[in-house]
Amino acid sequence: MSEFETTEVVVFDMKELHVFYGDFPAVRDISLQVRTNEITAFIGPSGCGKSTVLRTLNRMNDLIPGARVEGQVLYHGQDLYGADVDPVEVRRRIGMVFQKPNPFPKSIYDNVTFGPKLAGTNTDLDDIVEDSLQRAALWDEVRDKLDQSAMALSGGQQQRLCIARAIATKPDVILMDEPASALDPIATQRIEELMFDLKKDYSIVIVTHNMQQAARVSDRAAFFNVAVREDGARTGVLVEFDSTDKIFTNPSRKETEDYITGRFG
Amino acid sequence: MTGTRRRFHEQLDDLEHLVIEMGRSAEIQVGRAVDALVKANLDDAEAVIIGDLELDRMYLDAHKQWLVVSAEQQPVAGDLRLLVALLHMVVTLERMGDQAVNIAKVTRSVIHLPMTEGVLEIIQEMGDLVRPMIRTALEAFLQRDVELAQTLPHLDDPVDRLNGEIYERVLACDFGDQGLQWGVRMVMVARALERVGDQAVDIGEQVAFLLTGELVEFSQFDDH
Repeated sequence: MSEFETTEVVVFDMKELHVFYGDFPAVRDISLQVRTNEITAFIGPSGCGKSTVLRTLNRMNDLIPGARVEGQVLYHGQDLYGADVDPVEVRRRIGMVFQKPNPFPKSIYDNVTFGPKLAGTNTDLDDIVEDSLQRAALWDEVRDKLDQSAMALSGGQQQRLCIARAIATKPDVILMDEPASALDPIATQRIEELMFDLKKDYSIVIVTHNMQQAARVSDRAAFFNVAVREDGARTGVLVEFDSTDKIFTNPSRKETEDYITGRFG
Repeated sequence: MTGTRRRFHEQLDDLEHLVIEMGRSAEIQVGRAVDALVKANLDDAEAVIIGDLELDRMYLDAHKQWLVVSAEQQPVAGDLRLLVALLHMVVTLERMGDQAVNIAKVTRSVIHLPMTEGVLEIIQEMGDLVRPMIRTALEAFLQRDVELAQTLPHLDDPVDRLNGEIYERVLACDFGDQGLQWGVRMVMVARALERVGDQAVDIGEQVAFLLTGELVEFSQFDDH
């Protein structure tokens, strides 16, 4: 794969994106732009397709049998689904952190070095470990026990280790799928503070069900909703995408207002 | 809707009712204060001063409810704008009540002083103009009617004009010492009523903010 230029203000430019699982349209007609050094939040009810859209950004949907993408996702201006693009390289550049912390059942050190080793890095592994754990605000807590199992860490520490693991491959985007939903408020706050620090160096896209979290951490917010067809088929659609300030003080669409103020159901 | 969200909307409704109640009370207080002054009725003036305690109680209640709703529900969007507007209105209405008290205290202090023809009539006229302004502001809020809210600056124009007129009249009078004391106090009363008019306009601005998401000073459209 050719080197991506990373000087664009726009990291991702989704144009009329549709995602199908088999014949079923999971999301339809999504157009939005994700900008560098910002936190973009995807919000909306379950089944609205926000995680599906997130996964198109590092080609995670490729791993789901029958999943198919139509339309375009440009990453720094280059088609992410182009024939010459290597999905493995995509996932190195565009890291992902999941809802449930999922460290490998290995040492802390091995968790962080796993990606760089796989990519055949020339950089000193000790340096990568320290740098990544520093950036993930975990270094001070684990510097003396790097050889211990990652499974012995608390949930919040495990999640920060997963962030360190994503950072270790030197990505420029970090995708987060409900990264704090399994954590207590203190660990959640640490993750949110970390996200805020990380956006200086990375672009972050977060899926969250926590409205206040989206309001607190993000610069822009996209509200997705479920459109129900006459035959009952449910498809995710993008309702509104705007600055977070606008979305949470004066959204343009009534659907957004109803959702974020809890006037649903 | 879930139970907690229903409770939230009940809390908002309760707060809104309290604000409407404060508005009614403020209107009555201002009207009664002006009447007491014009009729030199000390009992009514005392009733205004005591009546303000009730407005203060509602103010404290509303403030407490506002804090609880904000802390529990962390409102956003239209709910957030409603709460912000309600807090602003609560403060404004409490201050209107204070202006009524100011007028009532003037009534106490001028009861023994000689007065000048014509000035009290203007004060009565100002009172008759600002009372419906308070009602209009609250009605615009209750009906969520931005156009009605936008009529308030126009209703306020004659109030401002009469305030200036009182000032000119007092300046022009050939007072003795006691007459001057009376005249200065009438200027204070006119100023209090002029403030009430402005406060009604402020409420109108909050109504527009609630409905449009933009807080705009109506006076910036003033072509006078």
